[in-house]
Amino acid sequence: MMIENENLTDSAENGANYDVLVIGGGIAGEEASLNLANMGYQVLLVEKDLSLGGKMIHLSKVFPTLDCAACITTPKVSETMRHPNIKILTNSVVEDIEKNGNGSFTAKVVKKPRYVIEENCTGCQECEDKCPVVVEDQYQYGLVGRKAVYVPFSIASPRIVAIDIENCILCGLCEKVCPADAIDFTQEIEEIPVKVNSVILATGFNLFEPEVITRYGYGKFKNVVTSMQMERQLVPTRPYNGVLRPKDGKMPDNIAYVLCTGSRDHTVGNPICSQVCCMYSIKQAQLLLGALPMADVTIYYLHIRAFGKGFCEFYQQGIGMGVEFVKGKVGRIHEKEDGNLILRYEDIEEGVVKEAEHDLVVLSVGLLANPETKGMFSNDSLALDAFDYVKQVDELINPAKTSIDGVFVAGAASGPMDIPDSILSAGAASSETASYIRRYHEK
Amino acid sequence: MSEKKRKTIDYIKEKRVVSEEVKEKRKEFVRLKKLILKVLESGDKTIPEIADETKLPLPVVTYTLMTLRKFGDVETGEIDDDDEFFYYKLKTKK
Repeated sequence: MMIENENLTDSAENGANYDVLVIGGGIAGEEASLNLANMGYQVLLVEKDLSLGGKMIHLSKVFPTLDCAACITTPKVSETMRHPNIKILTNSVVEDIEKNGNGSFTAKVVKKPRYVIEENCTGCQECEDKCPVVVEDQYQYGLVGRKAVYVPFSIASPRIVAIDIENCILCGLCEKVCPADAIDFTQEIEEIPVKVNSVILATGFNLFEPEVITRYGYGKFKNVVTSMQMERQLVPTRPYNGVLRPKDGKMPDNIAYVLCTGSRDHTVGNPICSQVCCMYSIKQAQLLLGALPMADVTIYYLHIRAFGKGFCEFYQQGIGMGVEFVKGKVGRIHEKEDGNLILRYEDIEEGVVKEAEHDLVVLSVGLLANPETKGMFSNDSLALDAFDYVKQVDELINPAKTSIDGVFVAGAASGPMDIPDSILSAGAASSETASYIRRYHEK
Repeated sequence: MSEKKRKTIDYIKEKRVVSEEVKEKRKEFVRLKKLILKVLESGDKTIPEIADETKLPLPVVTYTLMTLRKFGDVETGEIDDDDEFFYYKLKTKK
C-alpha cells in the first residue's frame, strides 16, 4: 500500500512514514522526487544546502543548446516545492540509515538551525540590509561578500534568509528590524526519525579544488580562477558589473582555459575524465566572445571529448566563432607584475615546450565523488567504485541498483555526467524505486 | 512582541561567544569601506586609482568595492579610454 500522509508538514516533524527518501535536491533528486510524487508516492526530499537546485541553479547556460540554466531548473524547483506529495527539508542531512527485516528503512534526518522561522520569513531582506557583518559569499565562489544574515542567492528556493551563526556577532539587529518576527535564535539542531520503504541517493558530486596543484598558482595569483567562478561572472546575477579580473577589475582581452585540471591526472588521485569540462569550457568560451567581442580565448586541451548529441557541432561552432584550440598540457603558470600570466606548456603537436601570455586564466576543474554517502548506512555497507562514486552493481540492466536492495542511485552520485544524463539517470532511479516498492511493500 | 525579541538574542548570547577573529573581520571591513568611500568622495575612480590612493592591495580593493556595489553603496560609471577599467562612483541616495 502506498503511504497516505494527510499532512506531510506535520508528520515529518513527528517521525513520519514515507514511500521514498530522496537524498539530495539537485536536478537528479528533484527529477526522481517529481516522478515518484506524480505516481502518488509520498516523498521526503532532504537537501543539505539552504536551497534546492544543486550545482545547476548556479550555472549560466547549458551546452550544447545554450539555453538559460536557471530558466530550465527554476520551474522544476518550483514544481518540487509545491508538489503535495513531496515534503522538503533543507539545511538537513541524513544519518544512520538502517535496513529493517521487512525491506523498509529507518533513518535520522538532522535539521540544522536556520535561526529563522521559515513560515514567517518573506525574504524582504531588511535584516540583510542592516547586518553589519561581511564575509565571503560561497554562492559567488568568494568573488564578493555577503552578510551574516542572508538570502543565499536571488533565485534560491525557499527564498528566505538564514543566519550564518559562525560569523554572526550577535548584535541582534536582524531580530530588531524583522517586520515578520521571523528571526529565532532559540532554534536548535532537530533530529527527526523517519521510516521509508526505499532510498534514492542523489548526492551529486564535488568540484576539484585546484589549490592542490600549486604550480597553477590558484589562490596565490588572483587572475587564475576556476570555471565555476567564471560561470558566476557569466550569469545575470554576477558578482561584478561584467567579466572582470579579480585582481584589479580590468576587463580581460586574452583568456586561457586549462582543461583537465584535476581530471585524467594520477598525480591528484583522479585519473578519470570528468565528462563535462570540454563542453562547459567551449560553452563559456562562446559566451565570453559574446560578452567581450574583442577578446581572444584559447583552450589548452589534451583531447576534446565531444561525444554527446550535438557536442561535435558545438565544438565546431566554437572554432567558427574564433576560439583557439591548442593541444597542449600546461605545466606551470607564473604571474607578471601587471597581473598577466605566463603559461608554460607542452605543445603536443609540435613536441616542444612553449610559453604564452594571457591576462586571465580559467582552470576547468573536474568532478569528484561526494564522500557523504560513505557513512550514511549503519547496518549495511554501501559499495563504492574505485573512485568513490556509488557503485552501480548491475549497470547494464538496472543502472540505478546499488549494493543495498531498496537503495537506488540517481545522477552524478554514480559518476561524472552532464545534465541530460543526470535527468535520464533520475528517471531510471524513480522507475526502479517504484518497481521495488510495488514488489515488496504493496500488497 | 519586544519581550520576545529580546529573549531570543539573549538566549543565544548566553550560549555562544563571538570569536575575536569574527570581530576583527568586521572591524577590518568597516575600515576598508571607509577608506574606499572616502576616496570616491572626490570623484569617479578606477580600481587601480583607488588602490593607489588608499595604498590598499588591488585584490582587496576589487573585493571590497564589488561588495559595496552589491550592497548599493557604489555604482558603476563609464569605462576608461583604453576600454580596460571601469570607473566607480558613490551611489546617489534617493
